[in-house]
Amino acid sequence: MKTTFLKSTALTLALSLAAGGAALADKANDTLKVAYTKELENVDSFFNSSREGVVLQRAVWDGLIYRDPNTNEYKGNLATSWEWIDDKTLELKLREGVTFHNGAPFNADDVVATVNFVAKEENGVKTQRNVNWMDRAEKVDDYTVRIYTKKVFPAAIEFLSGPVSMYPADYYAEVGPSGMGLKPVGTGPYMVSEVVPGQHFVLKKNENYHDSPKGQPTIGTIDIRTIPDVNTQLAELFSGSIDLIWQVPSDQAEKLASMGDRFTVSNESTMRVGYLAMDAAGRSSMDPNPYKDLKVRQAVNHAIDRQALVDNLLKGKSKVVWTACFPSQFGCAQDVAQYAYDPEKAKALLAEAGYPDGFTTDFYAYRNRDYAEAISSYLNAVGIKTDFKMLQYSALRELNMKGEAPLSFQTWGSYSINDASAMVSQFFKHGSLDSTRDDQVLEALNVADSATDPDTRIEYYGKALRRIADMAFWAPMFSYNTNYVMTKEVNYTPTPDEVLRFTDMTWN
Amino acid sequence: MSVKKTTAPLMEEITGPTPRQILRKRVTGHTGLLFGLAVVLILLFVAIFAPLLAPHDPYAQSLSSRMVSPVFLGGTWEHPLGTDHLGRDYLSRLIYGARVSLLIGAVAAAISGVIGTAMGVAAGYFGGKVDAVVTFLINVRLAMPVVLVALAVVAILGGSLQVVIGVLGLLLWDRFAVVMRASTLQVRRREYVAAAQAIGASTSRVILSEIMPNIVNNLIVIVTLEMAHAILLEAALSFLGLGVQPPTPSWGLMISEGKNMMLFEPWLVLIPGVVLFMLVLAINLMGDGLRDVTAPENRS
Repeated sequence: MKTTFLKSTALTLALSLAAGGAALADKANDTLKVAYTKELENVDSFFNSSREGVVLQRAVWDGLIYRDPNTNEYKGNLATSWEWIDDKTLELKLREGVTFHNGAPFNADDVVATVNFVAKEENGVKTQRNVNWMDRAEKVDDYTVRIYTKKVFPAAIEFLSGPVSMYPADYYAEVGPSGMGLKPVGTGPYMVSEVVPGQHFVLKKNENYHDSPKGQPTIGTIDIRTIPDVNTQLAELFSGSIDLIWQVPSDQAEKLASMGDRFTVSNESTMRVGYLAMDAAGRSSMDPNPYKDLKVRQAVNHAIDRQALVDNLLKGKSKVVWTACFPSQFGCAQDVAQYAYDPEKAKALLAEAGYPDGFTTDFYAYRNRDYAEAISSYLNAVGIKTDFKMLQYSALRELNMKGEAPLSFQTWGSYSINDASAMVSQFFKHGSLDSTRDDQVLEALNVADSATDPDTRIEYYGKALRRIADMAFWAPMFSYNTNYVMTKEVNYTPTPDEVLRFTDMTWN
Repeated sequence: MSVKKTTAPLMEEITGPTPRQILRKRVTGHTGLLFGLAVVLILLFVAIFAPLLAPHDPYAQSLSSRMVSPVFLGGTWEHPLGTDHLGRDYLSRLIYGARVSLLIGAVAAAISGVIGTAMGVAAGYFGGKVDAVVTFLINVRLAMPVVLVALAVVAILGGSLQVVIGVLGLLLWDRFAVVMRASTLQVRRREYVAAAQAIGASTSRVILSEIMPNIVNNLIVIVTLEMAHAILLEAALSFLGLGVQPPTPSWGLMISEGKNMMLFEPWLVLIPGVVLFMLVLAINLMGDGLRDVTAPENRS
């Protein structure tokens, strides 16, 4: 009985706020209020690697091609058709009559300028993998362009429908990335009308949006605020000053779902994969470095009860993952070695490797402190004592680039690119983020990344992924899901790619 | 005249209760002191005998039984205070958390006590240049916001029990120095100090056996204040994720971990919060009481 008392006081408090604030719900003003937990990293999508920026990119800009998130079918967006002229040349016919938010017409010059700008490494696009496959673009006529790839790159279509969006040539040349960050201009379904860094940004419906496969926007204004604390987000949701939140932790989402008819809670899987990266290459200052030993890496893999993490912490549509890629991605072979939860075996492996009493290791994480804590408890249980350190994403990324993190819990969302190369090739091709530096994996990936034949790609990604699993270079864990919570006034069906699609949202 | 004054109280003392009896009477008559002492002693006992008292291993996680309600909210006696977000027994973590809090409080107060007392007494006793230097250092220290400096240092060195104790110990000496300096200044002008110096007692002897015993009651009060201060700061640092690192049980960390579920499971924050509040209150009451009881002007 007392449970209900305490809970009901909290809820009454929240609900009484809601009663007072009901007038705030802004269906009447045609304004959808959204809250993010994290701040937008950079408005200019080429200088952003955060999920919030990806969502903004999809709303404000368009790519040449669009992948339908439900059917995975490629459709023309700013291009209407495309064709490989040879292995390395893609010719695209552009859509006519499209204008940018500032009124400038869209044509081949914009494509050429955008591609030539982002493809140059010295211009510093944040995630080089997204753009460095392109060599240059050339104009054939006003509505025909050719994009030349550096090597054979079959995933080009997927990348062109994802992170590569088209910028207005004249405007970008004039204002550059910093100007674009202050006043973004694109062709997308929503225009940015206000950006206050750290507080909020406001999107307005693009009334002249072209006939795009993204669909036409219906909600007039979208006001997105950054509210880092989940409890504050919930309180505002209760009070009606927020209509939609996402990435809601599963515990809270369950409680909200049980609150009856006030909120819609939807759960969707995402391409984000959580994994433990180990310093198998021995780049860190740890000495002796236990992770150089296969048995230790296998022990780490055996020590963790992935199913229990998925069932009790992540819940929803999360799944156990054994590969260094998300299972739906093209080429993400699933017939790889799996390491069942077996703490005894883990201890035995550690003993065989010469660590009968375990060892102490630094353990880094940047998000989901609770998952990281649960993982470190599993490791402690087999004798791997963790010195846990929670860092900001950028700080951990820097450590990883220097190879200084012996063990870290990390995640990768692949920019929602449905191709294994977006994850496995990002981390295993001897780049600065590669903690393993294995030549066999590199060889297989080089073949897979540049082959045009889909079967060859499947075969060689499979080779690389099996080698990674056999050598236990990583301990892949689980895929993420995200909970979307919205008031009953909002109608939205989330897609499984972790992108909020404002065009799909309508009022009930 | 002066003869009469000294003999009169002497006579009373002989016929009246002994000093020990007076002290006992004053201790037992002081509710705040008794309460504070009791709570601190109980928590000390709990901390020392944690392995015997805790019903479960505070580190053992059981993901299938997460956030079980405490017994007074409909839970079972298996977990009297429920379990946390990883299914670890809350009571056991609370008991082990007492160790962390008391350890940090005691050691940090001891370190800063030694530093601050040494500086304060030196400044008060020697005066002149020594005093000027110490006063300058105190001013420098007072100009630094403790929490910010602690945050910065912990962020650079990484959070761990040792670092937190060290940082707090090195930061909280200012009040010791200020109070010890002022008390020493008062005491060193007394006749018995002059007398001790006149018979040729060494400086260390004068300080240790003439000055210290007469300022120690102030020291006790500051020790308790700073102990409570250190415990709160540890909780604050751990709450911010920069103090004691998980899975070490710490009350501040428990509050921080329960924070996300505060709207739905408020007891996750309330239980460690109440215990932290009780400990800090008890230490403060104990310090207040000790001052009342031991103050020289009340000692007659």
